[in-house]
Amino acid sequence: MKSGNILLSLFFMLAVAGCGGGGSSSSTSANTTTASTTSPTSSISTTTTSVQAAINVLPITVNGAVCNAYQNEPCVDVTVCTPGTSNCQTISGILLDTSSFGLRIFKQALNVPLKQVSTASGSLAECVTFADNTTKWGPVQTAGVILGNEPAVQVPVQVIDYSFSSEGAAVCYNAEKSPSDAGFNGILGIGAFIQDCGSTCASSAVGEYYSCNGATCLGTTVSTNNQVQNPVPFLPADNNGVIIQLPAVPAAGSVSLSGSVILGIGTQANNSPSGVTAYPLNSVGEFNTEFNNVLYSGSFIDTGSNGLFFPSPYNASSGPYAGLLQNCTGTSNPYWFCPTSTTSLSAVIFGAATNAIGTTLPFQIGNFESLTASSSNRVFNDIGGSPNAGGNVFDWGLPFFLGRSVYIGIYGKSSSLGNGPYFAY
Amino acid sequence: MIKIKLFGLFHVLAFFVIFLAYAVPVMATLGEPASSIESDRKAFSAVNRGTTPFKSYTVHEIYSPANTVREFVSPSGIVFGVAWNGLVPPDIAQLLGSYITEYKNALQHTPRQKGSRHQRVKSSALIVERWGHMRNLQGRAYVPALIPSGVNIDEIR
Repeated sequence: MKSGNILLSLFFMLAVAGCGGGGSSSSTSANTTTASTTSPTSSISTTTTSVQAAINVLPITVNGAVCNAYQNEPCVDVTVCTPGTSNCQTISGILLDTSSFGLRIFKQALNVPLKQVSTASGSLAECVTFADNTTKWGPVQTAGVILGNEPAVQVPVQVIDYSFSSEGAAVCYNAEKSPSDAGFNGILGIGAFIQDCGSTCASSAVGEYYSCNGATCLGTTVSTNNQVQNPVPFLPADNNGVIIQLPAVPAAGSVSLSGSVILGIGTQANNSPSGVTAYPLNSVGEFNTEFNNVLYSGSFIDTGSNGLFFPSPYNASSGPYAGLLQNCTGTSNPYWFCPTSTTSLSAVIFGAATNAIGTTLPFQIGNFESLTASSSNRVFNDIGGSPNAGGNVFDWGLPFFLGRSVYIGIYGKSSSLGNGPYFAY
Repeated sequence: MIKIKLFGLFHVLAFFVIFLAYAVPVMATLGEPASSIESDRKAFSAVNRGTTPFKSYTVHEIYSPANTVREFVSPSGIVFGVAWNGLVPPDIAQLLGSYITEYKNALQHTPRQKGSRHQRVKSSALIVERWGHMRNLQGRAYVPALIPSGVNIDEIR
């Protein structure tokens, strides 16, 4: 190797190492160690094309030292500031979630003061329910949020604090108490919508937002400006969507994985789309999947789901996959699939629009128990399950994102791929 | 004299029954007659969206900005299943009625499956399932023993 090339390589390594995601990660994390975010070698192996690290890259670590509570757990660092100041803290172990909207941080992990959002008669708080029946309760506060090396944007976030107001427990049943209960320090919801509730909560008190005054909390409406919301649409330039880039893994899985969130679609040299197809989403972020001759019109993509979840074809009376994918028999894994050997399947993806043209999507499902039992591998592209009939839902969880660049276009924004909401790959 | 006393007693008892009916909301709905759906509608500040007959059951739909609830009624007039979807889940205590204690006990014994965005709670008489995502949380609850013959569980949604 010529000496000139060696010098360039060293410069590149040093430049990227210096510009990696926040250096000081101080947080009470779900797992005990406080880890640095990405190693220089991991940064090199992702898709940075320039010598200087771009401002719109947010590194992802799947099952690294900080987020390893369960298989396929993708996390990022987020820097949070007292709004309008440079009093900031970089928090690691924030779950990357493409099916929710807004930043939520456990109080135990937060060390900088934020600004409480007021209501007409008190403080704004929220009880938000997730699809696994977990709830998160706590005050809504404004923060300066820094993603990657972007400028700070001011948005309302949720501080997860089950003890906020003695009325919290009555209003928000079984609210999560700590990062170790959840398996992460917080959630970064960067899906296709802006607010977590939307216009309905501006006109109706549906039981999500509350006005708290001491020991009393009453359901309230809340303007869209004051709802917990996705920080990406507020970025000055890279605000029309995100690209989730994760490398492929072998069929037997990997111990951990590094990837990137690229902020913006077609706004910088590193986020120009090419060779991808866009699929429009409906008003709640869903599209169509056809699998085993059944149409699942409530399908969605979700980095926060740790497998591919869909009704099992095992007891189906017809279709190409009838009789396949039995559930595991181990008592702790009743809903995961345990086929006798790794099974190749395919589905067809359609956008939410009528007369949409479909694209075949092949995927694999392996035996969850044998994949997870024998080795220290924690990241898999072939684990899935059938927890229940799931109605008309096919949940394309983290395995869908491995070995792909997945684009998510935000509602009300547009790119060369079309008007949001859409996803593309 | 006895006749008058019994008559008086009847009035007193009738008064108490009527008093209780108005003082305590009828905790519907699962396992209860279809008339209990109206108490759900009031409790949820919802509106009736209509009743759809199917071959072996009828579905009553009630709608509020928070969510839509569908109640599945057997030919004998009993609610054997409920399904919902929307921004927030409906109050499960209102929907499960007398099954709520059994459900809460089973819930406490259901291991948390971190990372898997769904839940299935099973007790001896009842199954409650949840799935979906933010802005469209979905779920259903049903009593297998009350499902009319010939009806597939997956029709409850």
